[in-house]
Amino acid sequence: MYGRLNMPEPEPILNGAPKIGVYVCHCGINIASKVDVKAVVEFAATLPFVSVAKEYKFMCSDPGQDMIKEDIRAGKVNRVVVASCSPLMHEVTFRRAIKDAGENPFLFQMANIREHVSWVTSDGADATEKAKSHISAAVRRVALHDSLDRKRVEVRRDVLVVGAGIAGIQAALQIADSGKKVYLVEREPTIGGHMAQFDKTFPTLDCAACILTPKMTQVRAHPNIELLTYSEIESVDGFVGNFDVKIRRKARYVREDLCTGCDECTSVCPVHLPSEFDEGMSQRKAIYRAFPQAVPNVFTISRKGAPPCQAGCSIHQNAQGYVTLIGQGEFKEALDVILRDNPLPSICGRVCTHPCTEHCTRAKVDDPLNIPGLKRFVTDRFPDYEIPKPAKERPETVAVVGAGPAGLMCAHELRQRGFKPVIYEASSVPGGMLTLGIPAFRLPRTVIGQEIKRLEATGIEIKLNSPIGKETTLEDLRKRHAAVFLGIGAHQERKLGIEGESLPNIWGGIEFLRKVNLEGPFSIGKRVVVIGGGNSALDAARTALRCGAEKVTIAYRRTRTEMPADPEEVEDTETEGVELLLLTAPKAIQGSPEKGVTALECFKMKLGAADASGRAAPEIIPGSDFRIDCDAVIATIGQIPDIASLGDKLGLDTTRWNTFEADQTTLETNIPGVFVGGDCVTGPDVVVNAMYAGKKAAISIERYLDGKNTHAGRESEAPFVPTYSVDTSGAVFHHKVPLPSIPLTSRKSFEEVRTGYTEAMAVEEAKRCLDCGVCCDCQLCATVCEPKAIDYSMHDEIRKLEVGAIILATGFKTFDAKRIPRYGYGKYPNVYTSLEVERMVNASGPFNGEVRLKDGSAPKRVAIVHCVGSRDENTNRYCSRVCCMYSMKLAHLIQERTGAEIFNFYIDIRAAGKGYEEFYERVQQEGVQFIRGRVAEVSDWAMSPDEEGKLVVRAEDTLLGVVRRIPVDMVVLSVGMEPQADVEEVRRKFNISCGTGGFFLERHPKLGPVSTFVDGISIAGACQSPKDIPDTVAQASAAAAEAMTLIDAGFVETEPFVTWIDDQACKGCKTCIDVCPYSAIFYDDVRHVAVVNEALCRGCGLCAMECPAHIPATKQYEDRQILAELTGALR
Amino acid sequence: MAYLYYPGCSLKTGGRAYEESILAVFKALGEPLNELPDWNCCGATTYMSIDEAKAFTLAARNLALAGKSAGGPCDLVTPCAACFLTLRKAQHAIDEKPDIGRRVKEGLKKVGLPGEWQVRVRHPLDVLVNDLGVDRIAKSVKKPLSGIRVASYYGCQIVRPYESFDDPVEPRTMDQIMEALGATVVDWPLRSRCCGGSLSGTTPDVGLWLPFILLQEAKKKGADVMATACPLCQFNLECNQDQIKARYGDAAQLPVAYFTQLMGLALGLPAQDLGIQRLFVPLPKNVRETEHARA
Repeated sequence: MYGRLNMPEPEPILNGAPKIGVYVCHCGINIASKVDVKAVVEFAATLPFVSVAKEYKFMCSDPGQDMIKEDIRAGKVNRVVVASCSPLMHEVTFRRAIKDAGENPFLFQMANIREHVSWVTSDGADATEKAKSHISAAVRRVALHDSLDRKRVEVRRDVLVVGAGIAGIQAALQIADSGKKVYLVEREPTIGGHMAQFDKTFPTLDCAACILTPKMTQVRAHPNIELLTYSEIESVDGFVGNFDVKIRRKARYVREDLCTGCDECTSVCPVHLPSEFDEGMSQRKAIYRAFPQAVPNVFTISRKGAPPCQAGCSIHQNAQGYVTLIGQGEFKEALDVILRDNPLPSICGRVCTHPCTEHCTRAKVDDPLNIPGLKRFVTDRFPDYEIPKPAKERPETVAVVGAGPAGLMCAHELRQRGFKPVIYEASSVPGGMLTLGIPAFRLPRTVIGQEIKRLEATGIEIKLNSPIGKETTLEDLRKRHAAVFLGIGAHQERKLGIEGESLPNIWGGIEFLRKVNLEGPFSIGKRVVVIGGGNSALDAARTALRCGAEKVTIAYRRTRTEMPADPEEVEDTETEGVELLLLTAPKAIQGSPEKGVTALECFKMKLGAADASGRAAPEIIPGSDFRIDCDAVIATIGQIPDIASLGDKLGLDTTRWNTFEADQTTLETNIPGVFVGGDCVTGPDVVVNAMYAGKKAAISIERYLDGKNTHAGRESEAPFVPTYSVDTSGAVFHHKVPLPSIPLTSRKSFEEVRTGYTEAMAVEEAKRCLDCGVCCDCQLCATVCEPKAIDYSMHDEIRKLEVGAIILATGFKTFDAKRIPRYGYGKYPNVYTSLEVERMVNASGPFNGEVRLKDGSAPKRVAIVHCVGSRDENTNRYCSRVCCMYSMKLAHLIQERTGAEIFNFYIDIRAAGKGYEEFYERVQQEGVQFIRGRVAEVSDWAMSPDEEGKLVVRAEDTLLGVVRRIPVDMVVLSVGMEPQADVEEVRRKFNISCGTGGFFLERHPKLGPVSTFVDGISIAGACQSPKDIPDTVAQASAAAAEAMTLIDAGFVETEPFVTWIDDQACKGCKTCIDVCPYSAIFYDDVRHVAVVNEALCRGCGLCAMECPAHIPATKQYEDRQILAELTGALR
Repeated sequence: MAYLYYPGCSLKTGGRAYEESILAVFKALGEPLNELPDWNCCGATTYMSIDEAKAFTLAARNLALAGKSAGGPCDLVTPCAACFLTLRKAQHAIDEKPDIGRRVKEGLKKVGLPGEWQVRVRHPLDVLVNDLGVDRIAKSVKKPLSGIRVASYYGCQIVRPYESFDDPVEPRTMDQIMEALGATVVDWPLRSRCCGGSLSGTTPDVGLWLPFILLQEAKKKGADVMATACPLCQFNLECNQDQIKARYGDAAQLPVAYFTQLMGLALGLPAQDLGIQRLFVPLPKNVRETEHARA
C-alpha cells in the first residue's frame, strides 16, 4: 500500500542508547473498533530501539499515564511514543507525565491514530496498516529527538479588549476591577454594541438600557480602563504575554476632551443621513452622537474628505457646502460658504465652465447638479453682499498687472492676507477677458461692475489705462512695490494661415467681441461664418446675430461630441438660429480687396485616430471642397499672449509657445519677486483656472515676502479625484431642474439670456445632492460650538500599545434580509427586520415606542417569521439561538403596544434557557399564535377581498398539514446572527482561525470555548458563535479570567522549537536578518555571524529557506529528524 | 466560442415561435446558435419515473454528442424549460449517483459515444444576461418597447430545484432584459409559480386553475403582455384561455409571448421571422405598433 523509500537508516545521535516505549491507546472504541491494536503493538515491538510496547484503553487517564511513568522510573524507557489522538488534545498531558517521571518532556512523539486513522478510514485492515506507519515514523523520529529546555518570558500586565459591546464591557470591567490596566478599543464612536439598540431583554423583560448604561458609565469612569472609541486595530505583533498592537484612532473632528455633549451643533448641521443606530428609520446629522446616553458622550463628524465637486475645482470651491445649505433654505449661510473661496461668485455662477459638475457623482444616477446655477441663485438673491474685510493689515504693497480673473483673484487673495494690492490695467475698463471677450447677454456688465466694486471696497486699488512695458516698466513696479504679479492674459489673435486671410471684414473672435463690448453693436454683415467650436465661437456667432446678421454659420472641424463649448450654450446658440456645420474646416477665403469677402471655401472632414490631446484627429476628405457664401468671417481659433508688445519681454524668460516661463508650483519667474499666472502662462484657458493661478501666486508672494520656502507642502492645491466611493443605490431618479431663459423673441438685444433659478427651483435642484463627502464643511457647527471642540484639522493617529493578553469581543452582524428575496424585504414597505422593530418599540426610538406602519397607522395583524438566514441550506445552516426568544419578546411588545393579532411562523421553538420555556408559555397564553412551518413567501398576491392590500404570508402548517395564507399588515423577519463583515481581515491580524460558520474558532468546543489556538488571545460573545446576553456575559467573564490567570502567573514558558545558526558555518551575509518577521536575528559585529535571540524566535523557519547555505535549523525539525520520520512512514 | 443549441421536440413543433425568435435574436446580437447535430428527445419527465438509468442515458446522449461535437468544453443552450431541467438532472445523477453514472456511461460507450464531456447546460436567459450582458442588448435595441408593461414569467423548471443563474423564487434575469428593451416591468409575485404543467390535459381542476391564477394576477398588476421562457407554460397560458374563461368567468384575455419574440420586436426584426403570426391571442396594440413602426 505504501511505497518504499530506499534510504539508508540514519545514524542516531544519541544521548545514551535510546530505549523507546510505545504506548498504543484504544480510546475506548474510538481507535480499537477500527485498528487492530494488538497487531499494532506487536509490530511496534519489532521496531528499532523499542524496548517496551504496550496498549491501554485510555492512555490519557491516570493509570495510562502511570504506565509511562513507571517504565521511565524503572529505567526501561528513556524516549516515549504515544499512539492515540491528536497532539492538540493530549501532547501537553503526556509531556507533563514524562517530566514528572524525571525525563526531558521533548523526548516524546505522538502518533495520531485517531483523527488521522480510525476516524477517517473505512477499512479495518487499511487502518491497522496506516497506524503501523504512523508509529514507525514516530519511533524513528523520537530516536533522534534532542532534550530541549523551555525559556521563561515575563508577561506584560496590561490587557487589550477589542470590541465594546456587552461582552467587551463585561470583560474590561472585570479585569480592571482586579487592578490591571485595560485598553478597551471600539470602532464605533460609542460603546454599547447591539445591546444598546435593544428595547427589552428576554425572558425577564427588563429594559436593556437600564442594565447596560450603568455599565457603560462605569467603563468611562474606571481608573484602570482607557477607552479608545472610534478606533480600529491596525496590526498585532509579538506573542503571548508580549503583544505589540497598533491602533488607528480615526479622526472624530471633535475634540473628545473639549466636547461637552451639549448638542448645539446638530441643530445647525445641514446634512441629513439615515441613522445607523435607528437602523435607518430616523435621520441623523453629519455631526452626531448615536444616542443621548452614548459613552463617551461626545459628538463625531462623518467626514470622508473633500467631495468630488470641490476636489475637481481649481480653486477648491466648496460646492457641496453651499449646495447643501441651499437645499435647507439657508441661503445667507450658503453665500458665506461661497465667499470663503471665491471673490467673483456672481461671475463664476454665469460663465464658469464648472469642472465641478464633470466630477459630480449624481451624473451616475441621472444628471449632474447645476452647481453654477445654484451659486448664481444665491448671489442674485443677495445683490448687496460684501467681500469680507481682511483680518490683519500689512505695510507691503504688491503690483498686480492686469485686471482680469487672474489679477483680480491674486489681488483679492493678497488683500485678504493684509497686503495692499495695486492693479495696473492697460484697458479703459477692468475685467480683462470677462469684459472684453464675453458678451453682455451671458454676463451683464453690471454684474462685473458690482463684483469689482466689492473688491475695491476691501481696499484694492485699480489703475485703468496703465499699460506696462513702455511708460511704466517692470523695473519701476519692482522699485515701487514689494512684489509684482503679471496676469496680462492672452489677447493676440492666432491666424488661420489660409489664403485670403488679409481681406477686409475678417475678424478674430476676441477682436470682434472686444469691439462690440467696448463700442457697442455695429453692422458686420448679412451672412457671417464663424470658425471654431469653443465658447468664444458661440459668443461671436450670437453677438453677430445681435449685430443684425441674417444668417450666421459656425464651421467646426470635429463633431458635436468634441466641441469644447458647454453643451447647454451650444443648445442655446442653435435655438437662436445659428447653423452648425460640423466636420467642416476652412480651406481659403474668397473675395477681393474692393468687394471684401464673398465666400469661405471649406473641406469636409472625417474623424481619424486620437491625437495627442486624446480627441479624434480630423482628416480631410479629398475632393469634398464646397463653399459657403458670406460677407464676413470670424475666426475664433485661439489667442496668444501679447508679449512682443511689452518691449524686450520685460526681461522674463518665455517658452516656444510665446508664453511666460514659470515654476509650475509657485508661478515664480526668473526675476525674483516677479510672479506670473493665467492665460499669459497657460495660453487661452478658462476663467477658473486663471483664478487658480492668481490664488497660487498670492500664496507664493506671501511666502516670498515672509522669507519662507515657496514650494513646501503645496500638493493639495491642485485639483484631484477623491479616492473614497459613494453609494448611489438609494438615490431616487430625478432629472436636473433646467435653468430658465428669456423667450426667443427677446433675444435680439444684449439682455441676459438665462434668468436664473427661483427659490423653489434652487431648493429642488440642491436637494438632488448626494452628500458625497457626508460632512459638507460648511463649518456652521464650529460657529455654535461654545467649548470650541470642533477641529477640522484632526487626522487619523496611530497609537502603539504593549499588552500581555488580548480579548476579542467583536460581536456579530445581523443577516441581510435582502438575500432572501421571497420574503419581500426592501420591496414591500411594511416588511421589517427584527432589529428595526427593536428600535421601533424602543421608547427612545424613531417613533417614541409606537409601532406603526409606513402610513403611520398601527398594524392589526403582524406575522413574525423565524429562522431568516438561519437553519437554511442556502444561507446559514446553523441556528442563531436567539431568534425564537426575541421573536416572542417582540410578539409580546407589539401586542402590548397595538393589541394586534400576532402569528409566529417557526420551524422548532428553541427555548432552552433559564426562564425561557416559561416565557414561551406566557406569550402563548397572551394569545400570540404559533404556526409550525417555514414561510414560503411574503407577497402582495391577493386571492380574496380580505387579502386585498395586505401582505400575504404563505406557509405550510406542518401540524395541520395544510398550506395557509395569512394576510397581515406587517411582517417582521427574525434575522439571524452572522460574523462581522470583516471577520477574515480581523482573523488574519490576530492570526487566529475561523470555524465553518465564519465565527472565530475556539480551542476546544467544550473545554476551551473562550481560548484560541494563539496563546494569550481569548474570544468572548457572539464573535465566537451566536449567543444570547447571559451566555455572552458568562463568556466575557471566562475570557477575563483567562487573561488574568496569564498575567498573574507573571511569566510564560515559550516553546523550545526555536531556530539556531551554526556560527562555524555562517558567512555573515545577513540575508536571514532581513527576512525574519520577528526581528529575532542580530548580527554579531565581532564574530561576523548572525545570532538568533531565542526569546523572540518563533521557529517559523523563513531564515532557513532564505539562507544561501541552508545553515539555520529549527530545533526538533532538523533535516535528520524529518528524514527519519519520512523513512519510518514509508516503511 | 459559438454556442451549441439543443432545441428539443417542443421547439420543433408546438413551440416553433420560440425557436424562430430565439435563433433570430441570437443572430441579431452577433452570437448565432449552432444546432446540435443528431440530437434526440430528452425524455422529459415521464421516462425517468419508469427507469432512471435508461432515461438519463437517453438525455445524456445529447450531452455526449455535444462534448464530442465541441471537442472540448462547451455550452449547450437549451431554451425549453423541461429539456433544460432534464439535461441538468441527468448530469446531476451521473455526477452524484455512481451506480447510475456507471450504467449511463456503459450505455453510451456501446453506441460509440464518449463517457466523459465538459458540457454546461445553459438557459438562454443566463447566456443573454451573464455572457452577452444587458448593456449589449440595450445598445442593440432599435424599437424600444416604451410604455409597454410586461409581466415576466419564468415558470418553475428553469429556476428550481437547481439554483444556478437566478433566484429560485424571485428571479430577475428576464426582467432585466425587458428593462433593457425599454419595457416597463410589472412587479408581480408569481413569476416562478407553476403553470399547471401537463395537468391541463389530465386534471383540469388543477391544470386550468393554476394558469388562471397567473393570468388574473398579471392582469391585476397591470400587465399588457406576459413574457414566457417555456413552450409548455406558453401553451397552458395562451391556448387554454377560452377554457379558463368558461370555467372561471372573468379571467381576462392576456397576450402571452415568448420573451425572445419581444426581444426580436425591440431589436427591429421582421414579425414573420419571430413567429408573431403563430400567437392565438394577438399582441396588444402598442406592441403591434412597435412592429408596424418597423415594417
